Amino acid sequence: MTSSGPRSPGSAALVRLVAAREVSSRIRDKNFVISSVVILLLLLGTMAFQVVVSSGEGTSRVAVVADDGRIGPAVEAQGEAVGVDVEVVDVPDAAAARDAVEAEEVDAALVDGTGPAPELLLLDRDPALEAVVGGAVSGLAVADRLLEAGVDLQSLPDVAVTPVGDEGEDDGQRVVVAIMGVVVLYGLLILFGQFVAQGVVEEKASRVVELLLATMRPWQLLAGKILGLGLLGLGQIVVIGAVGVTGALVFDLVDVPGELIGTVATVVAWFVLGYAFYACVFAVAASLVSRQEDLGSVLVPASMLLVVGFLVAVQAAGDPGGTLATVTSFVPGLSPLVMPVRQAAGEAAGWEVALAVVLMLGAVGLAVRLGGRVYAGALVRTSGRTKVREALRAERA
Amino acid sequence: MLEFDGLHKSYGANRVLDGVSFAVAPGSMFGFCGSNGAGKTTTMRIAMGLVRADAGEVRWQGRPLDQALRRRIGYMPEERGLYPKMRVGEQLAYFARLHGLDGAAAARAAEHWADRLGLADRRRSRVEELSLGNQQRVQLAAALVSRPEVLILDEPFSGLDPVGVDALAEALLEQVRGGVPVVFSSHQLDLVERLCDAVGILARGSMVAAGPVPELRRREPGRLLRVVVPDAPPGWAAALPGVRVESELAGDTLLELAPGTDDQAVLAAALRTGRVAHFAWREPSLVELFREAVAEPAGEVAA
Repeated sequence: MTSSGPRSPGSAALVRLVAAREVSSRIRDKNFVISSVVILLLLLGTMAFQVVVSSGEGTSRVAVVADDGRIGPAVEAQGEAVGVDVEVVDVPDAAAARDAVEAEEVDAALVDGTGPAPELLLLDRDPALEAVVGGAVSGLAVADRLLEAGVDLQSLPDVAVTPVGDEGEDDGQRVVVAIMGVVVLYGLLILFGQFVAQGVVEEKASRVVELLLATMRPWQLLAGKILGLGLLGLGQIVVIGAVGVTGALVFDLVDVPGELIGTVATVVAWFVLGYAFYACVFAVAASLVSRQEDLGSVLVPASMLLVVGFLVAVQAAGDPGGTLATVTSFVPGLSPLVMPVRQAAGEAAGWEVALAVVLMLGAVGLAVRLGGRVYAGALVRTSGRTKVREALRAERA
Repeated sequence: MLEFDGLHKSYGANRVLDGVSFAVAPGSMFGFCGSNGAGKTTTMRIAMGLVRADAGEVRWQGRPLDQALRRRIGYMPEERGLYPKMRVGEQLAYFARLHGLDGAAAARAAEHWADRLGLADRRRSRVEELSLGNQQRVQLAAALVSRPEVLILDEPFSGLDPVGVDALAEALLEQVRGGVPVVFSSHQLDLVERLCDAVGILARGSMVAAGPVPELRRREPGRLLRVVVPDAPPGWAAALPGVRVESELAGDTLLELAPGTDDQAVLAAALRTGRVAHFAWREPSLVELFREAVAEPAGEVAA
């Protein structure tokens, strides 16, 4: 009987078995599948919305009646200078220009741009476009007159532009990406924290935990559960990040892809730390109760921390250098939500990020150790609600 | 040998176990009886490492049970425990793997035990979709699927219909024939009496009686002798030395003999009254042994 009997699996094997069961049962769970699809659809919807909104104020088409070929480039250059995309279309004469405007093939048409009586034809007034065309026409005229008067335009001084401070446009874009990332991160932390908590209570409520603990130690069960769901969560945030980055590049929503990817990677890295901490806290809280109905009451304190972190992160986006953002970006539990925003805003020095990571790692270590003890003590107490102190005292070998 | 040795456990001032000791030989079935709250479940949970004993230990083949040894034990908790949303076959395979079987062996074992316990066509059902009786079978299959060396079952028969009881009893007897020691607790004493090689009766945290049923019967003091003498006058046995008349109804007499009293002298006295229709020691049933054993010892309490 014993000769052909089973071997004793090691810790790694047990943790892997538990993790594999979590993944396979969760992947087949309708709620999980639906929530994943909804998150992706929301993301794609947001980007599609961005595309639609920005296309309205996007490229303006201006018809230019063929002349010496100088006014077209001048209009485009002026548009670029003030941040309005202008596309120039050549038309043969004034009648064709008018037709094009009436047919809404172009937004405006410039007739006699270099002549004495330039005229801009358009259906709806557009101040930005009017200013662009006006600037180009008058600039060209001024240059012509000066040239006629023998003034050397080559010697005019150029204005050198030097951005001061970190409030550049790129940082703004990165903060927006970081905020979106933090929203996703917050959502996933809550979602997967709930999954962990539900899983713990399910095992306790169905008493299957007695069978499990007859074959493994509580920490092995806890580790397997957190790892399995964590891999799923990581997979989900990576997919969301990849779809987001790809979509943003395809739809041309960002200017600097490298920095976008860097910010997304930062958010993913903080997800790993934040998840490790919150999964542990949620699991331990859940182990104190025996019924799904009681879950809410013990999860509130842990969820509050997450909500606070989220609110501070949103606030930090507006004021990334402020005291509140600076202080909270070091507080374990809050840092995964606040620090990515500060990093994206370029407000966090390398040593600050490193310190926040170290503090967070310490908190994770503490949560695993202390949490593991409470979890072990509370698991087999299947009546009512266990107090943390009782659980610590009842901890088994 | 599976040995439970001097288990003590208190919850605060409440002393649940006060030196529980017994041993189960390989290939034998041990019935564990006791009133509600006597400590049966606590004893089993200590063996499975779910409760830590204040003192004492449980040994298998001379070694104290640890996590590795416990993996070779098939266990059925009092409060049934299965994943409600997991399919029967997958669930059994999962438990087999937790006990150390590799993937292929676990799948084979899961299929085998589902078939054995009449769940062949329910392998793909979720546990929550099954009737209570079938859930019970899955629970038993989960205990057996890892080819355990020892079986510890808390109230395995509760909630089963008579057919289910027979199927379970047959499965357990087969394990016993394979050399597995089986410990189970039950309130169904007739079942315990029928199946078990030995029984233990737990009362107030300690084992008040343990051993093979016939031996317990012999040890039982105050056994009754039933003598049916239709022609005897009322009170025929009252004057016999060392004999107390328990009851007498138209010659059907129940007698309690003091220790050392010769039952043959009673037979001789009965024959003197005329025809003796019946003369036999009345074997106490396990139920009577149980009542006797768990009864509050009035004298001790007073002292």
